Amino acid sequence: MKKKLDFSAIARSKVTWAVVAEALILLVCLFVRPEFFSISYQPSTGMLYGNLIDIINRSSEITIIAMGMTLVIALGGTDLSVGALVAVSGAIALKFLRWDVTIYNTPGDYTVYSFALVLIVPLVVCILMGMFNGFLISKGEMQPIIATLILMVCGRGIAQIITNGKQFTTQYSPFRVIGQGSILYLPTPIIITAVVVAAVAIFVRKTAFGTFVESVGINRKASRLSGINAQRIIFIVFTLTGFLSGISGLIYSSRIMSNDSNNAGLNFEMDAILAVVIGGTSMTGGKFSLVGTVLGSIIIRTIVNLVYYFGIAAEATMAFKAIIIAVVIVLQSEPVRNYFAKRSSARREAVKGGAKA
Amino acid sequence: MSNLHTASRQSLWTRVTNPKFIMVYATIGLFLLIYLFGAIAYGDVGFTTLRTFTTLFVDNAYYGISAIGMTMVLITGGIDLSVGAVASLTGMLIAYGTTVMGIHPLICMGFALIVGVGLGLLMGWVIHYLNVPPFITTLTGMFLARGVCSLISRESIEINHPMIDDLASWKIYFMTLKDGEWVKIKPSAYINLNVILFIVMLLIGIYLLQRTRFGRNVYAIGGSEQSAKLMGLPVGRTKVLVYGFNGLCSVLAGITYALYVKSGWNLSLQGAELDVITCAVIGGTLLTGGVGYMAGTLFGVMLKGLIPALITFNGNLLSWWGKIATGLLLLLFICIQRIVVRTTDRRKGKKKAPVKS
Amino acid sequence: MPENNLLEMRQIEIQFPGVKALDKVDFTLRAGEIHSLLGENGAGKSTLIKCLTGVNRMDAGTITFMGNSIRPQSPQEAMGMGISTVYQEVNLCPNLTVAENIFVGRQPMKHGQINWKAITKRAQELMARFHQDIDVSRPLSYYSTAVQQMVAIARAVDVQAKILILDEPTSSLDDNEVQLLFDVMRDLKAEGMGIIFITHFLDQVFAISDRLTILRNGHLVGSYDIGDITKVELVTQMVGKDMDTIFNLKRASVAEDAPYMLNASHIGSPGQIEDISVAVKKGELIGFAGLLGSGRTETAEMLFGAHRATSGELEVDGKKAEIKKPYDALVKGIAFCPEDRKRDGIISDLSIRENIALAVQARKGFLHPLSSKEQNEMADKYIKALGIATPDAEKKIGELSGGNQQKVILARWMATDPKVLILDEPTRGIDIGAKAEIQRLMLEMCGEGVSVVFISSELDEIIRCSNRIIIMRDREKVAELNGDEATQEKILSIIAEGAKAAGGEAS
Repeated sequence: MKKKLDFSAIARSKVTWAVVAEALILLVCLFVRPEFFSISYQPSTGMLYGNLIDIINRSSEITIIAMGMTLVIALGGTDLSVGALVAVSGAIALKFLRWDVTIYNTPGDYTVYSFALVLIVPLVVCILMGMFNGFLISKGEMQPIIATLILMVCGRGIAQIITNGKQFTTQYSPFRVIGQGSILYLPTPIIITAVVVAAVAIFVRKTAFGTFVESVGINRKASRLSGINAQRIIFIVFTLTGFLSGISGLIYSSRIMSNDSNNAGLNFEMDAILAVVIGGTSMTGGKFSLVGTVLGSIIIRTIVNLVYYFGIAAEATMAFKAIIIAVVIVLQSEPVRNYFAKRSSARREAVKGGAKA
Repeated sequence: MSNLHTASRQSLWTRVTNPKFIMVYATIGLFLLIYLFGAIAYGDVGFTTLRTFTTLFVDNAYYGISAIGMTMVLITGGIDLSVGAVASLTGMLIAYGTTVMGIHPLICMGFALIVGVGLGLLMGWVIHYLNVPPFITTLTGMFLARGVCSLISRESIEINHPMIDDLASWKIYFMTLKDGEWVKIKPSAYINLNVILFIVMLLIGIYLLQRTRFGRNVYAIGGSEQSAKLMGLPVGRTKVLVYGFNGLCSVLAGITYALYVKSGWNLSLQGAELDVITCAVIGGTLLTGGVGYMAGTLFGVMLKGLIPALITFNGNLLSWWGKIATGLLLLLFICIQRIVVRTTDRRKGKKKAPVKS
Repeated sequence: MPENNLLEMRQIEIQFPGVKALDKVDFTLRAGEIHSLLGENGAGKSTLIKCLTGVNRMDAGTITFMGNSIRPQSPQEAMGMGISTVYQEVNLCPNLTVAENIFVGRQPMKHGQINWKAITKRAQELMARFHQDIDVSRPLSYYSTAVQQMVAIARAVDVQAKILILDEPTSSLDDNEVQLLFDVMRDLKAEGMGIIFITHFLDQVFAISDRLTILRNGHLVGSYDIGDITKVELVTQMVGKDMDTIFNLKRASVAEDAPYMLNASHIGSPGQIEDISVAVKKGELIGFAGLLGSGRTETAEMLFGAHRATSGELEVDGKKAEIKKPYDALVKGIAFCPEDRKRDGIISDLSIRENIALAVQARKGFLHPLSSKEQNEMADKYIKALGIATPDAEKKIGELSGGNQQKVILARWMATDPKVLILDEPTRGIDIGAKAEIQRLMLEMCGEGVSVVFISSELDEIIRCSNRIIIMRDREKVAELNGDEATQEKILSIIAEGAKAAGGEAS
C-alpha cells in the first residue's frame, strides 16, 4: 500500500521544524550578508574554506557524540559522562605522545610511543568506560542519569590524574591531521563525521538494531517477553556512546594539539542532548531520527558561527544560542505542533469542500 | 477501640522503620562513619574540633540552600539544571550593580530575586503547559542565565561595599565557660549569615513539605502526576510554584556565594547544579520522584562537604581525588538504594494478596 | 418516577472525526440504585461516562443532575459537583499513605498547618466503614489492588459524592474481594448514592445491579430492570447476534498417539511454584482453571522463561530443553501471550507491522533483519486472518482498541509458527464478539497441530475449548480433568475445597 503525502503528519513531525528552523536562519543570513555562503579553495592547505564548511567542521565533535546520544535517548535515558570521556581521551592521547614530559620540556614533531597506541588506547579506555556505564544500567538496573553522573563527576578527575594535573602539548604532524588536516579537499573532521554517521546509520537501520532500541525504549518488559535481549541492547548503546566520545576527544585535542582537561568536552553532553532533541527524538524514548540529530547539531553550530560572523560579541553567543533553542523548543512543543497540524488539515478540508461544491 | 490504639502505636514504629527512611539513615550512618574515619586519621591535627564541624556548614551553605529547592523539584519528578547559572548570574548582578553602577546592594539583590524567581516561574510554566521535558527546559534556562551573565561582563568583578563587607563578616562565635567567663572556643568556631540563611531555608523547606497542602501536593505529583490530576489537585500551579521556589533558592544561594567569595564572575559555579543534585540524591531523594526528605538533604550536603575537608586535612592528595571520591560515594549510594528497593519489593510481595492469576 | 432521578442524560450526541461515537443516547440514574452500563468495546460506554466527568464535550444533548442542568468542563469540576469516578487503574499516588491519599488536596488544617492527627483518625474511621482495619499510615503501594480500590472509593465517598462511577473495578480482584466490593456498594446504595457500574463480567451484573443499560455502536439499545432480562437476552442485545451462533465451537480432536510437544516435569521456583508437571500433546488444548493467585501465570512464565525455573526438567518436542529467558523458549518454538497486554505486550509507539514482526525478528537476532517486503506480507496476512480493524499496517498499535491490540499480539506469536502457544487471559477486557473469534482461532490452531495452553478465569470458556483441564489452587496443581467430563460445578467444588482449607487468608 503506497502512502500518500500526509501533510498534517509532516507538520506534526519534529524533524520538519528542525529543517524549517535551519532554513530560516540561513535565509535571514542570505539577505543580510550573502558573502557568508562563499566557499573558496586554498591551495596552500589543499582544502576548501568557507563558513558553511566551518559550521560542519566545528560541529563534528558534537555530531559524533550525538549519534550515540540519539540511541541513548531513544532508550529513554541520558548519558552525562560524554564530556568527561572527551577529556579522558585527549589526556591519554597526549600522555602517550609526551610520555617524556619530565625529561624534555619542548614539544616537537615526535611521539614517544607509537602512533597506533596514541590512537587506540584512548578509544579502548573510552570503550571500557562506556561498558562501565552500560553494565550499571543494564545489569545493575540503575537510572542512566545517575549511573552516567558517576563518570561525569569522576571522569575529569581521572583525566587530570593521568597527566598529573599538567597540560601537555605536542607538534606531532600525523596527530595534527586528525583535527586540522584535510582529506579530499575537506577538513578531516568532516570526513570522520561522515564516516561515523554513515556507519551508525547503516548499523541501526540496515539491521534490526534500531527497531530493537525503539522497542526497548518504549516498553522494556514487553520487548524482553518478545525475545529481545534488552540488557544486551542497552549495553551496546552505552558502549558505543563511550567509543564515539573517544573519537570526539581525539579530534578535540588534535585541534589544540594539547590536552585541556578542564575545558575539553565542557558542556558537550548538553549540546549533544540538545542536538538530539531539536532533531526530533523525544526524551521519553522510542522513535528516533539520526538525520534530525545531525541537523540539530548543525543548527547549534550555525548559531555560534553566525554570532561570530556578524561581529556580535562572543559573550553573546550563549545568550543567542539560548534564545534560538528556546524558540525551537517552543515550536516543537506538543500544543504548538498540534495547533499547526489542525490548521493545515482544516485548510485542506476547506479546500476539499470548496472543490466539491 | 483498642484496635485503633494498637494500630496507631504500630504506625509510629512502622513509620520510623519505613523503608524509604532507610536511605536517610544510610546517609546519616555514612556521614558518621566518614567523620569517625577523619577523627581517627586526622584527630591530632584538629579534625575533631568544633571548628571543623562549623566550617563544614560555612563552606557549603550555598550548596545547601540550593539543595533545598532542588529537593522539592526532584520530588515532583522533575529536575533543574539552571541553578548554578542563576546563582552565578545573581552574583554578577550584585557585583556589577554595586561596584560598577553604584546601586545599593539590597536593590541589586531585589532585582536578582525578581529575575531568578521570574525565570523559575517561566520554566515551570513551559514544563507544565507546553509539555517540554524539564531537562531540556532548564538546560535552556541555564544557557540563558549564563548568556546574560557573560553579556554583563566577561571579567570577574569584585564586590566592594561596606554593607556587603558587614554582612559577610558578621559572625556568631561559639563560646564556652572558662573560669566563670564566656570566652571563644579555640580554635575559633563560628557560623555566619550564610549558615543562618541555610538553616532558615531548611526549616522553611521542612515546613512547606510536611505541613502545607502545597508540600503534600508536591509529593502527590511525584508519585503519579496523572493520578494527582484526576484527584483534582492543582498540578499546574504547584509545579510552576515549585520551580519558582527553586529559583528563589538559587538566587539566595547566589547571594550566599557572593558573600562568601565577594566577587561576581560569569564562569563561577560551573557544574554546581550536578553537585547540588548529588547532595539531594545522597540524601535519599529519588530521581524518579515522590520520595525525598529535607533532613536527608541536610546530611547529604554535609556528607558531600566532608570529602574536600578530608582532602584538605590530608594535604597530599590532588583536589581532583575529591571529585573521584564524590563519584564513588554516589555509586555507593545508588547501589544501596537499589538493594533497599529490591528487598522491600520482595517483602511487599509476600505480604500482598496475590494479584496474578 | 422522574422526581427520583438523580441524573438524566438526554439525547447525547458526540461526533469524533470519522465516527459518530454517541447517537441520541439517553441514560438515567436514580438515587440509591446500582446501574450497570454494558456494551462491547467501542459501544460508547466510556465516551458517555467521559461526558459526565467533564473529559469529553458533547455536541448535543443535556445533562440534568439533581434537577439542575450541568455541563462539567473538567474532572475537577465534576468532582466538585459530586460525581466521582474510580478507574480500573486505581488513580491514587502510591508513594503517599492511605490516609493521605484520601485527604490530599483537602487536608483538615489546624493553626495554618496540616492536622495529621485528624487525618489519621478520620481515615481509620472511613476504612473501618468499609471493613478494612488496615494501618492507614502505610504507603498505598504496600497494599493489594483490592484494598487500593477501597481507598479510592473511600476518597470518593468522603468528598460527599452523590454519584459514584466504577469503571471495571473487578478486573484484578479475586472472588472474595469482589464480594467485599459488592458489600460496600450495597452499603453506599443504602445511603442514597447512585452507582454506575461498568463491567464485562455478566455474572456480576446480575449479582449486584438494580437496572442495566445496554449500548451498541453508539446507540442506546435499551434500559432494563434486572428482573426483566435474562443473560442470554442480554448477550444477544449487546452483540446483536445469536449467542448460539457465536459460541458454536467444537473442541479440537487429538490423536491418541499424538506425541508430546511440551513435557514439563516437576519444574519449580522458590517462592513461586514448588513443583508442577504439565504435558501437552500435539494439537491439544489444555485449559488452566483456578482463582486469582493460584499460580497459573507463574507456571506459564516458567514454561516460557519469563521466570527462571530452578528445578525440574523441560522437554520440547521430545528433546530436552534449557529455558532461562524468553529468547530460549522462542527459539524452541514456544510462544507466550501475556496477561496484561498494555504493560507487557504492546509496544505502543511502534506500528502494527513492527509489533507483529517483533518476535520473529527477535528470534533471528538484530543482525539478520526481515526485509520490508517480508514484514509487510506478514502484517497483511495476519490483519486479514484475524480481522484486525485498521486502515493500514502502519498505524500505531497504541491507537487501536483493546480487542484489536490483543489480536496484534496474538498475530505476533502466531507469526513465529510456534509448536506450543501459551495464552494468559487472552479474552480479558474484550467484547463478546472478539472473545468468540479468539476462541475460534485457538481451536483452528489446534487443528493445524499447534499445542495450546489456555489460561482463563471464565470457566465456560475453559470448558468449551479444552481437551484437558488442569485445576490449580494455592500454587499447586490439584486436579486434571478431561474436557468432556468437566462441568462448572465440578471445577468450582475442586477449587472451593482448597479455599476452605486455607481459611480466611484471602481477605
